[in-house]
Amino acid sequence: MIKAILIFNNHGKPRLAKFFTHYNEDDQQQIVRETFHLVSKRDDNVCNFLEGGTLIGGADYRLVYRHYATLYFVFCVDSSESELGILDLIQVFVETLDKCFENVCELDLIFHIDKVHHILAELVMGGMVLETNMTEILTRIEEQSKIEKQEAGLSAAPARAAAAVKNINLPNISTSNIHLPNLPSFK
Amino acid sequence: MPAVKGEGMRGLAVFISDIRNCKSKESEVKRINKELANIRSKFKGDKTLDGYQKKKYVCKLLFIFLLGHDIDFGHMEAVNLLSSNKYTEKQIGYLFISVLVNETSELIQLVTENLKNDLGSRNPININLALHCIANIGSKAMAEALGSEVPKLLVSSDTIDQVKQSSSLCLLRLYRTQPEAIPKGEWQNRVIHLLNDQHMGVVTAASSLIHDLALTATDDYKGAVSLAVSRLSRIVTSSYTDLQDYTYYFVPAPWLAVKLLRLLQLFPPPDDPAVRGRLNECLETILNKAQEPPKSKKVQHSNSKNAVLFEAINLIIHHDSEPNLLVRACNQLGQFLQHRETNLRYLALESMCHLASSEFSREAVKKHLETVVNALKTERDVSVRQRAVDLLYAMCDKSNADEIVGEMLDYLESADYSIREEMVLKVAILSEKFAVDYTWYVDTILNLIRIAGDYVSEEVWYRVIQIVINREDVQGYAAKTVFEALQAPACHENMVKVGGYILGEFGNLIAGDPRSNPLVQFNLLHSKFHLCSPGTRGLLLSTYIKFINLFPEIKPTIQEVLKNDNQLRNADAELQQRAVEYLKLSVISSADILATVLEEMPPFPERESSLLAKLKKKTGEAGGTIDEKEPGKEKKEKKPQQLPTSIEINNVGESSTDEMAAAPPTLSMDLLGLDNTPASQPSVMSLFDTTAAPAAAPMNNTAAAPTNGAIFDVFDPTPAPGDVTSLTPGAEESFKKFICKNNGVLFESELLQIGVKSEFRANLGRLGLFYGNKTSYQFANFSAVVSTPETLQTALKVTTDQVGTVIEAGAQVQQMITIECLREFEETPILHVQFSASAAPEEIESVGSGVRQFINVKVPVMISHFFSGVAMTSDDFFNRWKQLSLPQQEAQKIFQATTSMDTEIDKGKLIGFGLTLLTDVDPNPDNFVGAGIIHTQESQIGCLLRLEPSKNAKMYRLTLRTSKQLVSQRLLELLLTQF
Repeated sequence: MIKAILIFNNHGKPRLAKFFTHYNEDDQQQIVRETFHLVSKRDDNVCNFLEGGTLIGGADYRLVYRHYATLYFVFCVDSSESELGILDLIQVFVETLDKCFENVCELDLIFHIDKVHHILAELVMGGMVLETNMTEILTRIEEQSKIEKQEAGLSAAPARAAAAVKNINLPNISTSNIHLPNLPSFK
Repeated sequence: MPAVKGEGMRGLAVFISDIRNCKSKESEVKRINKELANIRSKFKGDKTLDGYQKKKYVCKLLFIFLLGHDIDFGHMEAVNLLSSNKYTEKQIGYLFISVLVNETSELIQLVTENLKNDLGSRNPININLALHCIANIGSKAMAEALGSEVPKLLVSSDTIDQVKQSSSLCLLRLYRTQPEAIPKGEWQNRVIHLLNDQHMGVVTAASSLIHDLALTATDDYKGAVSLAVSRLSRIVTSSYTDLQDYTYYFVPAPWLAVKLLRLLQLFPPPDDPAVRGRLNECLETILNKAQEPPKSKKVQHSNSKNAVLFEAINLIIHHDSEPNLLVRACNQLGQFLQHRETNLRYLALESMCHLASSEFSREAVKKHLETVVNALKTERDVSVRQRAVDLLYAMCDKSNADEIVGEMLDYLESADYSIREEMVLKVAILSEKFAVDYTWYVDTILNLIRIAGDYVSEEVWYRVIQIVINREDVQGYAAKTVFEALQAPACHENMVKVGGYILGEFGNLIAGDPRSNPLVQFNLLHSKFHLCSPGTRGLLLSTYIKFINLFPEIKPTIQEVLKNDNQLRNADAELQQRAVEYLKLSVISSADILATVLEEMPPFPERESSLLAKLKKKTGEAGGTIDEKEPGKEKKEKKPQQLPTSIEINNVGESSTDEMAAAPPTLSMDLLGLDNTPASQPSVMSLFDTTAAPAAAPMNNTAAAPTNGAIFDVFDPTPAPGDVTSLTPGAEESFKKFICKNNGVLFESELLQIGVKSEFRANLGRLGLFYGNKTSYQFANFSAVVSTPETLQTALKVTTDQVGTVIEAGAQVQQMITIECLREFEETPILHVQFSASAAPEEIESVGSGVRQFINVKVPVMISHFFSGVAMTSDDFFNRWKQLSLPQQEAQKIFQATTSMDTEIDKGKLIGFGLTLLTDVDPNPDNFVGAGIIHTQESQIGCLLRLEPSKNAKMYRLTLRTSKQLVSQRLLELLLTQF
């Protein structure tokens, strides 16, 4: 079972924290910090699995993670999951995000945290893999967007206008995207 | 296809950019507080908010929460969103609830109402939202309220695929939270047929569900095996174009394949030869595919292909029945060991660990020794090196122990701090386990202390001393070697401890050599004395007194040292006391007495190495809990260490009472085994009691009586009739103490102690009851009889010895009871004890004696005492388990743990209960599986047990199967009280 899904950037700022077992607010933050500490000190080409920190359950749990440009995607799983399977699941998640946001970058996750949650919900539910077929996932997201547009109707006009905001000058934000092709290729 | 982009929310964007522009934590907090106030006022305001606004504010709150700030409002608004008829509002409401509301919130009730509505909705989109929310929160209350709805959705024919998928996982979550809340029924039979579903997503979700359902009731779901195999076979043999969208980088449905292979790992190899053949074909195909050239150079392709491959190998290892496949698996892993991908090397090392325990592949694994050693030395990643250590440990046997231990010692010098302690333990265990020549063992441990002294835990050096003491052939060598090791200018304190202990015992063996004559030995040790901690100094003082016995010629020198103010007036009470006592002992005792008191340590009883227990604990639990011994315990086990012989004088009283009263069945605590002796010597116990009781007795005036469960109100001349025959308070509790052990205190009051020692063989048992008079006056008209309830008389034959009618002050009287078990039974015989405590005339007033005392306790005899353990193989176990599958043969209970759930303690209890624990039977190593036979004159009753702890939920599930309903039930009742 997947116990938690964490996304944070290279500085340890959380961008998504989804827990499938209950932790209180403080523990959630501690876990993010601890996990960042464990993962960030590792070189980029060492292995993608390591034992969980003490807060998340220690050696019985494993952290499976991937580092894309500015973001770390970390899944904390128990021994019933296949590490390589989870590694691929992260890839499916990121590819889906990429399709939904067109060249997804850290900013998209920040400004559309609700969407990210909805997309994740199509992949993982209650800590278990729900769907792995990207076409199917995208269809479902598409359906949601359609309903959203219908419901919004005219009242959504101002919202759409505001969409341009992403292009306004926001200093201090790295806009480089997550770089899917950045994965080491397999020779 | 930009599915979601473009619907930005300006207010949100501005707020987020503000936060990101904050230069300091203070300004960030300020900005957030301002925003929180704003949202609060919006929520509180009269103006109704539209969906867009609500959504915006909820997003803001989510963002603030993610930054680590508490959100203490908005919950009600979110709940209100749930009943909205707009999808987007409902969706955002559920999102807020899933992230921010936990199962303890008082809002859960309201949320649950909404969930119920949505589950009943006709719109699959709403149903799905509800299912997601339930699966994410998964509280007990939800399980109870909705546990019956979800299964209906799952198997209803109207349900669309997407809902089927979600309801599988939702049900899984509820089942994990509260299995009892899910009603049993028809759906259980239908759920395995979901493995045949058209929709691959449904199959994936269903196989997760079936996996967990079958985890605890393998037999009920064994129908899943053939379905899973045929599904797997269709996937494996399909070409990557067949499954279209479920093909991931040219690998057909990798996740589903992995799930199915995991599911199959719950079951033994299929019985049906056709199914078995088909499965083996699948496994072979998977292994074959690994050798084909990759269809893509992308890492995703190799990842998913190997995910399936590793799972297939795990299944092969689990079945452990096809030598051909096992060897192929091993070769495949061998290839991975040298693979350029770190992930694969990591996983290969891990899987090989499992493979090493199979007799078919053991030799094949050993061939890779060199590669593994190389991995230990060259891997850049500590988590991979850790796996290499594990594998070396797993593949070690007599033939390669020398090399492996050598390599590990070598590596230890440069090893990462995080894995040193574990490595030290492993080296210590291996060198002991595979020692052919114990001088090698001694060398290894001393090397270990030299190289990594800080990481050598007490257990390690205790163990080397135990072994040296028990093996005469190495004593001389050990003395010589420690002597040499101590010559080093800087040696670790642990070395001083071992050196001190060993020279104190066996220094005489090397004293003949002028280079290590007594004085040299003493001076060498004493040169380290000042650098050591008080604990070690205490140990050295004990060594000195032992030297006085071994080498009378240096007695004056040692006495000088003991006399020194540094010792005699040491601020540390323990050291001071030792110095004073040892000095006195050396002055007043004759050589004979010294020789007796300071005699060489007797051999330690053979027992399981406490190192293993420690290692299991270390690897089994989260880090950081290694030294959790309570201080009192620690002291108790140190004392026997440091005062090798005088212990018997000082400590016996203390430990005997502790032992009798509490006696925790921990194997690891009493390393030196001294704790055991008092329990088997009840006479010592009573000796202690007589000395303690007189001091206490005069103070026990009448006021103390009511607090004492055994004595009823002394002001009431005629005891209440109930007290004469009904059980004495506390009797039930003390009875329970005997469920997992045979000896202990059955009853204790200020006046009387009843100790029990019992032994059982087949259907016969013998109990010794020891009545100890704790007072300073005589018990008169003493009688102790055993009554058996009528229903019990056909099941037990009890014969009781007569006891004398008088027990003198401070004396102990023994009574033997023999018991023959004719048939299974539930009840217990009752022991009725009565006596008059006739004190000396002047004490009559104060103690209320003369009043007749009645004590009624249960005789600690239960059906489980007639157990004998049975060892069996995994196959045998499962066969028998299946044979006992009638509902009335099984007794099962899921219950909250009342103990700390320590694996070792649990194990001790089950062994104490009389079963043989079987390892490598249950796929989950945390579970306990045991077997035994109950002997009665009429029949022999086979009994199988399975105990599944869930540390997360602090729950146990206990299952017992025997051929007799009554026995299953009774054993269950008895064991329930112990966890």
